[in-house]
Amino acid sequence: MYALEHPLVNRQGALLDDTPWNAIATLALGVAGVTILSVLGLVPRAALGIAGTAAAHGTLLGVALAWTSTGERRDRQAPLEAALLLGAAACAAEALPGGWLAYVALPAWLACRRPGWIGAGTAPSGGAVAGGAIFGLGLGVHLLVSAWLTLGHHVRLGPAGELAAWWAYDLGANVLSAEAFFRAALFERAHRRWAFPAAAALSAAASVARYLVDPLLPHSPEMIAGAAFYLALLSVGNCWLLARTGGLLPPYAAGLAFFAVYRLLATR
Amino acid sequence: MIAVGVALALALITGALALSADGAASLWRHAYHVPVVVAALRYGGRGVLVALAAVLLYAPIVIPSLERSGPSGEVLEGLMTFAMLLGSGVLSAALAIGVRRQRGRFETLVAVQRSLEGEAPMSVALARLRACLAVRLDADVGLAVQDGSRVAVAGGVEMASSSAVARVLASGEPLFVADAGGVTRPRRCFVTPLGAGGPTTGALAIERAGDIGPDERRALLTLAAHLGLALENARLAARQRRFGDELAEKVAAATERVVEIDRLKSEFVALASHELRTPLTALQGFSELLATRRFAPTEIARIGLIMATETERLGRIVSDFLDLTRLERGLAPPLRRRRVDAAALVSDAVELLRRGRTTHELDVELDGPLPELDADPDALDRVVKNLVGNAVKYSPAGTRVRVAARARSAPSAVEITIEDEGPGIAEADLPRVFEPYYRAAGASAAAGGLGLGLAVVKSLVDAHGGEIHAENMAPHGTRMTLIIPAVP
Repeated sequence: MYALEHPLVNRQGALLDDTPWNAIATLALGVAGVTILSVLGLVPRAALGIAGTAAAHGTLLGVALAWTSTGERRDRQAPLEAALLLGAAACAAEALPGGWLAYVALPAWLACRRPGWIGAGTAPSGGAVAGGAIFGLGLGVHLLVSAWLTLGHHVRLGPAGELAAWWAYDLGANVLSAEAFFRAALFERAHRRWAFPAAAALSAAASVARYLVDPLLPHSPEMIAGAAFYLALLSVGNCWLLARTGGLLPPYAAGLAFFAVYRLLATR
Repeated sequence: MIAVGVALALALITGALALSADGAASLWRHAYHVPVVVAALRYGGRGVLVALAAVLLYAPIVIPSLERSGPSGEVLEGLMTFAMLLGSGVLSAALAIGVRRQRGRFETLVAVQRSLEGEAPMSVALARLRACLAVRLDADVGLAVQDGSRVAVAGGVEMASSSAVARVLASGEPLFVADAGGVTRPRRCFVTPLGAGGPTTGALAIERAGDIGPDERRALLTLAAHLGLALENARLAARQRRFGDELAEKVAAATERVVEIDRLKSEFVALASHELRTPLTALQGFSELLATRRFAPTEIARIGLIMATETERLGRIVSDFLDLTRLERGLAPPLRRRRVDAAALVSDAVELLRRGRTTHELDVELDGPLPELDADPDALDRVVKNLVGNAVKYSPAGTRVRVAARARSAPSAVEITIEDEGPGIAEADLPRVFEPYYRAAGASAAAGGLGLGLAVVKSLVDAHGGEIHAENMAPHGTRMTLIIPAVP
């Protein structure tokens, strides 16, 4: 027993300890460079979207790896590594038909880097994963019904290629980076300091804020209010799933299920 | 079963609301309170999820009205219903949790008392207590309790000197560790001192992969105070039982001793009567002879000598009685101390006995010059004569009695040993030979004596600040060793 047999040590540092600032700065410089080149017309406009996607999600994934590092030097460069992979996947999705399949490589890469999160080892039971998926699905369906009744948005079932591309993006970038950073890293770090409500509130607030600044989200007031409401619920629920099961797969499944249903919403 | 009923009720109420012509203002909305309150009372904190589910199910009916007609009365009623549902869910859950916690605390206290019932060593009692608390608190539990000079531990092999428990034992203050390790989930740890206001008698440690909130920590402080008292009570009860047992043993031993003393006194009275009668009979007989007959002067002298001897014997017995009386009153014999030449005292006493006794060979060995003693010479003479007399009395005729004296240093003293070649003293009798009235089981009746001689000798030696002890020699014989402090 720790309290009895082990010397008492203070494990807590600052909340932002081990943040790979150099790698983040490098990514920011890269995005700034691409933006300038795009404004000057030297690169196509799509390149800016690819760079932004790679840098944003790469930063979240990389910081998550750095914060949960056990001392590997490689983790200090994780944002660059993740951004490169995400950039490659985004390029493939942009340039090749069916290139969105490249996003599947990201969960596999993360499973290798942190087996306890996505892969084997301490992975939670299938029941917990299914529970997470049902939670996300229920929330997504509720969103669809509310949007239909309130805003008159309908459900779309196509085009299949576009839906598949969105789902792949959620699988390898959007949901993966959000759950890795806001749950496995930020919530876990906060929960080691504070009680669950405080840690979950921080994680949910940061998560909602991240989506509110996402240029891919429609910015009508109704959509922003709805997004804040549902993402806050999803975040708190996912924090609870992580705290309850100790693994990232249930919240990941919840996020995937929620966004999979959300992509069916015809917002335009 | 309740969960299914709650889910069914939510679905039915939502269906009724959707089909109602009154929309969000339908009275069906109030029916949500039934499953919400039932779930909150049944499932506590998790029951709040039902309130949330009710709000989520009701929201698609209220929000379109808000979009259509703004904040109308119907919409406001709907929004108020949201607040009421969440409020009643949270309130009911809080009440249910409070009641359960209170019941849990009482049950825990009862379980703690039961686990400490019966007599058991501290380690066993702690192990039982730990097992009970681990189940009741749903956590890893450690206990460290001061048990005399050591710390008894349950929940670990041993206590690390800089562990959280050691710190709490030293400071007497509770300690909360938000992150006590844990790979995938942080483990919380709370350590609280045992005892209610007094000195810290131990510590209770709780570890769990999950929160230990302020309310639970307060409850644990109270539990630790009760635990401290319960352990102290158990310890006192055990001590009382032990004292009771010891007291019963002592009373039994004392009773046995009283019975033994009573028996010895009876024997003593019989012996004393016999010992007194012998010289008295002689004195009576010879005095009657002298009164009724005429004897030649030489015969009268012989009879006078016999009468004097018997009178001396009678005097010795009376003197022993007087000494015994003083002994029983706890008084030291009166001494007239002066400087005494130990060598001369031993030689003279033995020489006197040698002249009177011809059945044994009496040897005296004086090892070098002996220091002077600060002693009563009459008392010491009586001691030496008594010991030598005993040696002669209890060893066969023709054997040797050896008296030796030598100087001892640090502290300066004279050691006198009297050794005989008799059968020795039974090992069981050795510790008791100096007790008043005590006569060894094998003591020859023919040897006579009241069993007072050695008791008087010991009292005289003690009065001089000396010591005396008896031992058997191999292959046979007894050695009496007498140590008398010399003049400083």
